[in-house]
Amino acid sequence: MSEFATVTVTVNGTEHQRLVEARMLLSDFLRHELGLTGTHVGCEHGVCGTCTVLLDGESVRSCLMFAVQADGHQVTTVEGLGTIEEMHPLQQAFQEAHGLQCGYCTPGFLMTLLPFLEQNPDPTEEEIREAISGNLCRCTGYQKIVEAAKLAVDKMAAEG
Amino acid sequence: MDVRTAKKKFIGQRITRNEDPRLLTGQALFVDDVHLPDMLHAAFLRSDYAHARILSIDTSTARERTGVVAVYSAEDMGDFWQEGPLLVPPPTSVEGAIFHKRGQIPLAKDKVRHAGEPIAVVIAHSRYMAEDALADILVEFEPIDPVINLERALGSDAPLVHDDLESNLAAHVVQEKGNYEEAKAKADLVISRRFNIDRGAAAAMENRGVVASWDDKAQELTMWDTTQAPIPIRNGTAAMLGLSEHQVRVIAPFVGGGFGPKIMMFQPEEVLVPWVAIKLNRPIKWIEDRRENFLATTQERSQVHDSEIALTRDGRILGVKDIFIHDTGAYDPYGMTVPLNTQCHAMGTYDVPNFYTEVKMAFTNKMIVTPVRGAGRPQGIYVIERLLDLATKELGLDPIEIRKRNFIPPDKFPYEHNIIDQAFTPLILDSGNYQPLIEKAAAMIDYEHFINEEQPKLRAEGKYAGIGIVAFIETTGVGPYEGARITVGASGQVNVVTGVGTQGQGHFTSFAQIVADQLGVEVRDIHVVTGDTAQFHWGTGTFASRGAVVAGNAINAAAGNVRAKILKLGSKLLNVPEEELELAEGQVRVADLPEQSISLGELAVIANPLRGTVDPGTEPGLESTDYFGPQYGATAAGVHAMILEVDPETMMVEIKRYVTVEDCGTVLNPLILEGQIQGGVSMGIGNAFYEQLVYDEDTGQLLNASFMDYLIARSTDMPPRIEMGHQETPSPLNPLGSKGAGEAGAIPVPALFAQALENALADYNLEILETPLSPNRLFELLHKKEN
Amino acid sequence: MKLQGEYKFDGPRDVVWDLVRDPDVLAKALPGTQSLEKVDENTYEGKMNVRIGPVAGLFSGKLVVSNEVPPESYTLNVEGKGGPGFGKGGGDVQLIDQGDGTTLMTYQGELQVGGTIANVGQRLIETVANSMAKQAFESLNRSLQARLIGEAEGVEVEYQAPSELEFASGVAKDIVGQLFSPEYKNVWITLVVAAVALLIGYALGKSESS
Repeated sequence: MSEFATVTVTVNGTEHQRLVEARMLLSDFLRHELGLTGTHVGCEHGVCGTCTVLLDGESVRSCLMFAVQADGHQVTTVEGLGTIEEMHPLQQAFQEAHGLQCGYCTPGFLMTLLPFLEQNPDPTEEEIREAISGNLCRCTGYQKIVEAAKLAVDKMAAEG
Repeated sequence: MDVRTAKKKFIGQRITRNEDPRLLTGQALFVDDVHLPDMLHAAFLRSDYAHARILSIDTSTARERTGVVAVYSAEDMGDFWQEGPLLVPPPTSVEGAIFHKRGQIPLAKDKVRHAGEPIAVVIAHSRYMAEDALADILVEFEPIDPVINLERALGSDAPLVHDDLESNLAAHVVQEKGNYEEAKAKADLVISRRFNIDRGAAAAMENRGVVASWDDKAQELTMWDTTQAPIPIRNGTAAMLGLSEHQVRVIAPFVGGGFGPKIMMFQPEEVLVPWVAIKLNRPIKWIEDRRENFLATTQERSQVHDSEIALTRDGRILGVKDIFIHDTGAYDPYGMTVPLNTQCHAMGTYDVPNFYTEVKMAFTNKMIVTPVRGAGRPQGIYVIERLLDLATKELGLDPIEIRKRNFIPPDKFPYEHNIIDQAFTPLILDSGNYQPLIEKAAAMIDYEHFINEEQPKLRAEGKYAGIGIVAFIETTGVGPYEGARITVGASGQVNVVTGVGTQGQGHFTSFAQIVADQLGVEVRDIHVVTGDTAQFHWGTGTFASRGAVVAGNAINAAAGNVRAKILKLGSKLLNVPEEELELAEGQVRVADLPEQSISLGELAVIANPLRGTVDPGTEPGLESTDYFGPQYGATAAGVHAMILEVDPETMMVEIKRYVTVEDCGTVLNPLILEGQIQGGVSMGIGNAFYEQLVYDEDTGQLLNASFMDYLIARSTDMPPRIEMGHQETPSPLNPLGSKGAGEAGAIPVPALFAQALENALADYNLEILETPLSPNRLFELLHKKEN
Repeated sequence: MKLQGEYKFDGPRDVVWDLVRDPDVLAKALPGTQSLEKVDENTYEGKMNVRIGPVAGLFSGKLVVSNEVPPESYTLNVEGKGGPGFGKGGGDVQLIDQGDGTTLMTYQGELQVGGTIANVGQRLIETVANSMAKQAFESLNRSLQARLIGEAEGVEVEYQAPSELEFASGVAKDIVGQLFSPEYKNVWITLVVAAVALLIGYALGKSESS
């Protein structure tokens, strides 16, 4: 018999309350309970980083968390970053630099880079590569992701 | 200048992609994002044994579990259970070819033939519940000794993977050009070696998945599938389920990377999910998890080669002989595509007058082998490039010189090799110019300077730095055909529909560029649809680096037809001869008199009257459907060069510089091409030095079925920059002059690593005859040498 | 993979022999065992919860004892199957009288695994298997003490087996212990000394300023 628990969590500024199985992963909760399918699942064992979201502003792997662990916390997913009409400078940079191909790993990279760039507004290329070394991409070879991050540095500085 | 073409040129421009905003903001639909009311979830029970007889399957307890709606094993499938089809026929045109077809089966019946083979499927209210129920299913196995090693597989005492065959020989094909033995007799130098090549996974970030929904009232089936071939899936699924093609719609939405395995069709899960959806009259979703992906998604590369090269004293190739065993895994539904590619690439970029190639394909108790980026080409290139490198050591030539002496000269194209390729056409290299490629690569990486100055300096500092440079061809753009339909809408937006799918290669943009050039419409106003059989249902799929070439040319043809219609109607309405009209900025207008213009949207409405009459033979609107099928595949080529440093204690490798010079004919979008090459190189680096699927020889277990133990290249494993040079030798085989480039990045890398490592560790006089390598394997090789 | 090791029991050989042939004792010695029954003289069947790294599940198994030379040696063969995969192994066990009231048990064997445990647990299997054996022996040893005390005092002494949680944390400690092996010891000592020095410095600084 599985146990149930109530989860109250604020996602992208909106509070949600759901009764879910205690063992439900945060990634499944976001994707299937809340319908926020922008966060993707790549491995479910915490290596690929595709499922990265922000928990109280820090990057975490949502596949390694249970939804109940997010109870009372703030979660930000890629849907909270920008819209098609108004993309965040980081998203714009990715488009300009061709930092994505199939786009599956991309939300994970965005949610890893966002706090990194906010806390390190002038990183070296080596620091950028180090920061994203926990995110796997099979399509791009990372070069244009690094270029996108560098471009984002300028765009985010311009935004102030 | 032809005033009828658009003023602005879009092909060849670095245009950012149409599809990005949707992907970047989490608004793109992938298969697992599909959510339907009353949807149920599937989980598969997979064999823990690599080889065993099934004595009994007991699903009764699983059925009782709360939340479980149904459980099916082979017995429950009744007549629907059948061996899967042969997707690629064998090369019957080759004399003496032997081929034993054994298709994949949907659920194991009397026997399991690889670890991970599906035995039963549970349908439940959630994936969590379905997985719980898997533990309730009791299967009694009688383990059999598994067949893993290739030579042992073909040995007389090996257990049989397929009991109705006499041995584990799945196929045997011999191809010849000229007479190798005669050539060998005249040679000054003959080098023979055995090369061992092992398996790697495609490991796309998105695992496979299928959602199927049956509408009983409309009698229609809709499937969302992470496939690279939606149209054949639709046709085959309809046939299997006794439906007409028009009752089945297959959608390949955004797909998170294909790389080959998603072209494999009628995989067990793909066949079962729609069947269950109809049986239960409920939508069914199955999403693969990463462990399943490692076990049960197709893989590639394992072969054992006994190869030989015969040369003259000054390094001219007289002949090549390559006898190899190819591992097809437990079944062979994909025919001989992969080993045929190997055969066709074992002569590389070179003018080889005599060639003997013999492949024995072996069944083993491992997952089946079907194309993975490169699709057998890397193995062929590895053989020829390694043989040449070994020859340089004996002959005292350098790697660049020996290659230059053997390149097919530009005036010998189209160059016929007299053997047949994966598309069953004779291997003809349509065009190419190889010498400038290697000269450019050598110049870009400062080859001479490194060998003469930098390397000795680093060696004196105790650093082991090495350089490598290799050349390769890639057969691309193969037939049979693709098609497209182009329609100008009332708003002026142009709609393009084609049958191929997209897995990240930018079709929504590169295809739009082709149309933009013909119709003078901005790329952002061209809407491309791929992978939906309801919109377009003729074609085969995305594979063999053919999307841009074959679908691209079909699109070009259809766009040309629409342009002709626009000009004809525009000429009539503007009362001006067609030669004086131009298409630009979404309008048809008189050149030099822009006030005399009609927008394409207006023209489209006029071309589709609601009342009145039309002349006989008129087609409504501004629309055209057209197809393109090449005579044979175009051959791209390239050279990669690399400088690396090896730490002699840890054997860790740091790539200092990486250079590619690519010739893929006309380039549609350089930004997208760069991405493809960089991505291909990262996969090649993984293939060469970090990735290997390790099957235990005694138990047949896959020992590294997770990213913890199967190492994909990360951002910190890549060189600081991949420097890309370019050359365009247009292909005469299609109007756009283009060749494919999707797999090129990955093909030469294992051969390149071998040469560069041997060069770095020259003091040890290493001979690298295998791939993949790894730090510990390199350590073993070095220590074997020392003792 | 190969399994081998030894363990010293604090008791005489014949008592140890009886203990390891008693299914109730064995069941308690391996927490996670849900049941263990003697089917016939040499065969036991049972169910057990097993956890190896990220993989966990219920296993059904069979244990067969053979080649018995009481109280010196025997051969053990084990077969287990469950959600996470299967395991099959066997080995020889020897009990050697140390002459001082203690018994040395030595064992050598092999274990083959398949399924999910083999796919994702490779690096941990040997450590976990040896750790489980060690913990089981320690538990058996305590059970042995209880029995000996009971015999001496003429009463039955309750033996409290460790909980599944204690057992699991024991295994986890062993896995981590591999990390904190002698090669790393110097690094850790240095770090600890540095940390202590910093703390002392900080405390001194604080007390001076106040």
